Amino acid sequence: MTLLFTLGAFCLSVLMGSISYFTARHYLVGGRVSTSVQQAYSNAQVVRTTLAASSPDPNAVLDSPAIRVSAPNSVLVVDGVPASTSLLVQESTIPAALRALVGSGTPGSETFLLAGQPAIAVGVPIIVPGRHASYFEVFDLSDLQHTLSVLALALVAAGLITTVLGALVGRRASLRSLRPLVGVSRAAVAIANGRLDTRLPAAVDDPDLVGLTSSFNRMVDQLQERIQRETRFTSDVSHELRSPLTTLSATLEVLEAHRDELSGRARQALSLLGDDLRRFQRMVSELLEISRSDTGSVDVVLEEVEVGELVQRAVEAGARSVPGLTRPPPVDIDGAVRHARLQVDKRRFERVMANLLENAALYGGGPTRVTVGPARAARNDARPRSADPVPPIGDASGRPAQNRLAAGGPAVRIAVEDRGPGVPETERDRVFERFYRGQAAGRRGRGTGTGLGLSLVAEHVRVCGGAVWVEEAEGGGARFVIELPLGDEPVALQGPPGSDEPGRSEEPGGFTDGRRNVREGAGP
Amino acid sequence: MSNRILVVEDDERIRSSIALALEGEGHEVDEAASGEDALDHFAAQPSDVVLIDLMLPGMDGFECTRALRRQSAVPIIIVTARTDTHDVVAGLEAGADDYVTKPFVAKELGARIRALLRRARPTQGEPNVHTFGDLELMPEQGLLRRRDGTEVHCTRTEFRLLCELAANANKVLSREQLLDRVWGYDYFGDGRLVDVHIRRLRTKVEPDPALPRHILTVRGMGYKLVP
Repeated sequence: MTLLFTLGAFCLSVLMGSISYFTARHYLVGGRVSTSVQQAYSNAQVVRTTLAASSPDPNAVLDSPAIRVSAPNSVLVVDGVPASTSLLVQESTIPAALRALVGSGTPGSETFLLAGQPAIAVGVPIIVPGRHASYFEVFDLSDLQHTLSVLALALVAAGLITTVLGALVGRRASLRSLRPLVGVSRAAVAIANGRLDTRLPAAVDDPDLVGLTSSFNRMVDQLQERIQRETRFTSDVSHELRSPLTTLSATLEVLEAHRDELSGRARQALSLLGDDLRRFQRMVSELLEISRSDTGSVDVVLEEVEVGELVQRAVEAGARSVPGLTRPPPVDIDGAVRHARLQVDKRRFERVMANLLENAALYGGGPTRVTVGPARAARNDARPRSADPVPPIGDASGRPAQNRLAAGGPAVRIAVEDRGPGVPETERDRVFERFYRGQAAGRRGRGTGTGLGLSLVAEHVRVCGGAVWVEEAEGGGARFVIELPLGDEPVALQGPPGSDEPGRSEEPGGFTDGRRNVREGAGP
Repeated sequence: MSNRILVVEDDERIRSSIALALEGEGHEVDEAASGEDALDHFAAQPSDVVLIDLMLPGMDGFECTRALRRQSAVPIIIVTARTDTHDVVAGLEAGADDYVTKPFVAKELGARIRALLRRARPTQGEPNVHTFGDLELMPEQGLLRRRDGTEVHCTRTEFRLLCELAANANKVLSREQLLDRVWGYDYFGDGRLVDVHIRRLRTKVEPDPALPRHILTVRGMGYKLVP
């Protein structure tokens, strides 16, 4: 917009300047020409009378006092004999074309350069019986030229100032008109990041903007209401689902406790019922977990733990929950990070390991090993998956955050390798999407996952401030790598003031999947 | 001897199925459909363990827990449907000993209950009395009292936690260790159980709970008791 104003000011000033200049020039020059011609004519009259009355010597005529005073630069040619009143102006100085014209009996004028200065020559044929005479007068135009130059300069200067002023005005205008738009775009970003309470201040100083801000605010109101409705729906659904599932689970256990009393066929039916019910329960749990983070309600319970112990225990516990995994894979822990400390949600991490191990078992022919080491080099594979620190609304891909890791702090990498077919490069991003099952899509029945495992892994890792990706393992299988920031500073907010928990932080919200490992016979 | 369990749950089907499952494990079960009902049942015949759903009509689960706590040290397990920290922590602050989340596995509930009931037994090989501040702790007698003889009432879980800290006086016990020894949870137990119970102990035992002198937090490591 500034440009527009500048160009406009420039064009206008050029236009105005040109008009002024050329108009002035036209009139000034025209005026001078006509006065010059008039003077030349009146002088020519005097010459004629003098010539008619006295000798034909042009010098004598020009010498007469009347001519001498009023025509300082004149040339008189009588029958081919020239005479002039000044040294500067001679017959030869008069332009040839004018001489010829006047010689043929037509008066005329012509502008020309006299010693580098503009001048005008006026020629009048003198009609005297018996003589052939031409009278020329030269008038200096240099002062006019000077005036016009000054005028031109002044106009150019004025034009420049106008252009500059135009630029300034344009800039001011554009800033003023863009400021609310900047405000709008900032508000939009904040809203997209989950801060649904953001509104634009009612514009009091500019009536044009009132319309924009009020319709924007109305839009956000509706958006917020809809999202809240959906959140309520999700949490209502969640509550609704958990109740029958609790009953189903409890009654199933009673039946299973009495399975010996059942006939063979009933026992088989009970088996199937139990399997699918547990699978269903898991699916519902996973869906609810994901929908919770969709709506931005992040429940993270961070605790400070030791890397080595965390991974070892998580692998053991996770492996226990994977059917078909007889024992956990070996865990290689680099001595450099074994005793390093990090802030993590233990339960989420265990779920992550369980999911990765199950993924390896289902699609990778079984996990071969788990490695733990410092994050040294940059990753040798696909670019990092990044996201904003707060999940955008409606983002279904659950991509992990890069905020802590992007800062370049120390981090630990935990990798689960398998000996399966690996994940082709084209699928390495998609594999973390919900319900994406790649080659396994279409296979149903026993031994297949829900399709949500990896997207949950991505989500859990994200809220803990880490990242996850998949690469190729040596030997061709897949290698899923989790990177988590080290350090004793929590990623999430501290608990309420006055809370004195040792080395931990809490977000409002807690996490449990209702399935904690209880050691029978332990404790008091 | 079978244990008496009071199940406070307004959803009839859930209540019945839990009762079935617990009876299958050898417990005697009383059912109450509301907080008020529960208090009446308990007054008429106290149970050994009470299971309270936090979402109750009328008097909510928190209020019911607090009311029960005021009159008894009976072990209480709260049942949460949401895993909001607010719910879990508020329920623990109100006086619960432990929690389970819906949908839960009845077997796990049974294990929790057994763990709670076992908590009555003191640990072995202890001197008779631990003193700190103006308090005397007698694990075998299950007694905590001030020098002047007034008893300080604790739930079994609080008492057990205090005994554990006292038996390791001046030593730091991590949350995981406390979860294991007091609640019987493994590494992935919920550390908030420990945190809230420490807070509760401090309000009972410390002259100024905000500036504890005996039950201390060691950042990054755990808790310890300093006599």
